[in-house]
Amino acid sequence: MSRWKLKEIVMMSVLSVVFAVIYLLFLQLGNVLTGFMGPMGYEVIFGIWFIVSVIAANVIRKPGAALLAEVVASIVELLIGNAVGPRLILSGFIQGVGAELVFAAVRYKRFGTPVLMAAGMGSAVTSFIWGYFISGFAALAPGYVAAMFAVRLISGALLAGLLGKWICDALLKTGALRGFAIASAERNQGRAGRGESLA
Amino acid sequence: MRLQEINPSVKAGAVVIAIILLAFAFDPVTPLLVLLGSSAAACRFGGVSVKKWLLCLSPFLLIAIGYVWSAMLFGRVPSGAHAQILWSFGPLQVTAAGVSRGISLGLRVMSFAALSLLFVLTTSPSHFMFSLMQQCRFSPKIAYGILAGYRFLPLLKEELAVIRTAHRIRRMGVTGGWADQVKQLGRYAIPLLASAIRKAERTAMAMESKGFTGSRQRTFYLRLSVTAKDWLFLAAVVAFVLVSFYISGRLGQLSWYSGEL
Repeated sequence: MSRWKLKEIVMMSVLSVVFAVIYLLFLQLGNVLTGFMGPMGYEVIFGIWFIVSVIAANVIRKPGAALLAEVVASIVELLIGNAVGPRLILSGFIQGVGAELVFAAVRYKRFGTPVLMAAGMGSAVTSFIWGYFISGFAALAPGYVAAMFAVRLISGALLAGLLGKWICDALLKTGALRGFAIASAERNQGRAGRGESLA
Repeated sequence: MRLQEINPSVKAGAVVIAIILLAFAFDPVTPLLVLLGSSAAACRFGGVSVKKWLLCLSPFLLIAIGYVWSAMLFGRVPSGAHAQILWSFGPLQVTAAGVSRGISLGLRVMSFAALSLLFVLTTSPSHFMFSLMQQCRFSPKIAYGILAGYRFLPLLKEELAVIRTAHRIRRMGVTGGWADQVKQLGRYAIPLLASAIRKAERTAMAMESKGFTGSRQRTFYLRLSVTAKDWLFLAAVVAFVLVSFYISGRLGQLSWYSGEL
């Protein structure tokens, strides 16, 4: 674990604290939506749960950042008192793996909008496989399950990928990320940095 | 035996194992028995008052209801021709099997919630982190990093109040419609995240300047260990879930759903 700097870990943890509060709000919203729309209600907002791993991977740009960030986020949520309990750590790990695979596929070299959106969708895929088992989707009609999966993919791409990208860009402008890889990548590449986000 | 005295890692492991076992049940009886059992255990051995327990469990009722009616309407139609139709409206059919599955999924949500609350309400967050380091070989750098960030929660609340007031004084935070509220969330989120990240950097620097290396060779003031009673607890939880399966089987209710996967 010596490849992680302490500030990177504390940063992930603090990000998770901020988002844990947002997650708690979303959890209430999800509960209400699920009451009215069934399991589909959660799918619409599911992507927000992957956002920490997208932001952390984009800011730190190291192998394993997406996975570790999601695990850290799940532990922080558990500490804050999320009633989903210890199972969260397992879910966090599984979600993190999905995003991590996408970043590994581009060899941790590209962090443009399409890659970040794909990372959100990667988490959607792995988390859905897990959800299929743990929430008993097998008891639901295959067509309905397919629709849930499609909605989760879109939610992952938009709420984690696109929103995560927007937050990273906005944070970069504030200068708060000066000590992290994202800022030096932006500095080194200059014009190319803009080209990358179009790629 | 009190649930507070069980080693947090073992307790977390027991809860996760129980949840994974329960994921194989598609009948109403098994999750119902686990729901009742963990409620009894939390109130009897966890010192949780019945009122608090019901209060914590109640939000999950809404999810459970959502699952019940969706599984009733959008449940997988059994392949056998013996599907008993209870009610139909156009293309929607409610079958007896669908109702049973729906109630099973609803009770699954409730039993998962009960098992999780059993852990959450009887475990101190810092003890859990210490146990992760001492029993699960979790890296101290990550564990203390998490604890440091976690301690920011009250600070961030304060920070949010400051940002809100600062916006208000410049007439930015005038509450409007639903769209304005969302826009406002964005206006709060970025400054909040930016200051949180700056705090994180400073905290990490402070920790390192005081000699924190994150190495595994460190001493602990609080030592947690795993004893026979922890293994007994793990065995009791697993045994209880298995007995629930058994009772459900004896009642002729048990279904695995493995054939249709």
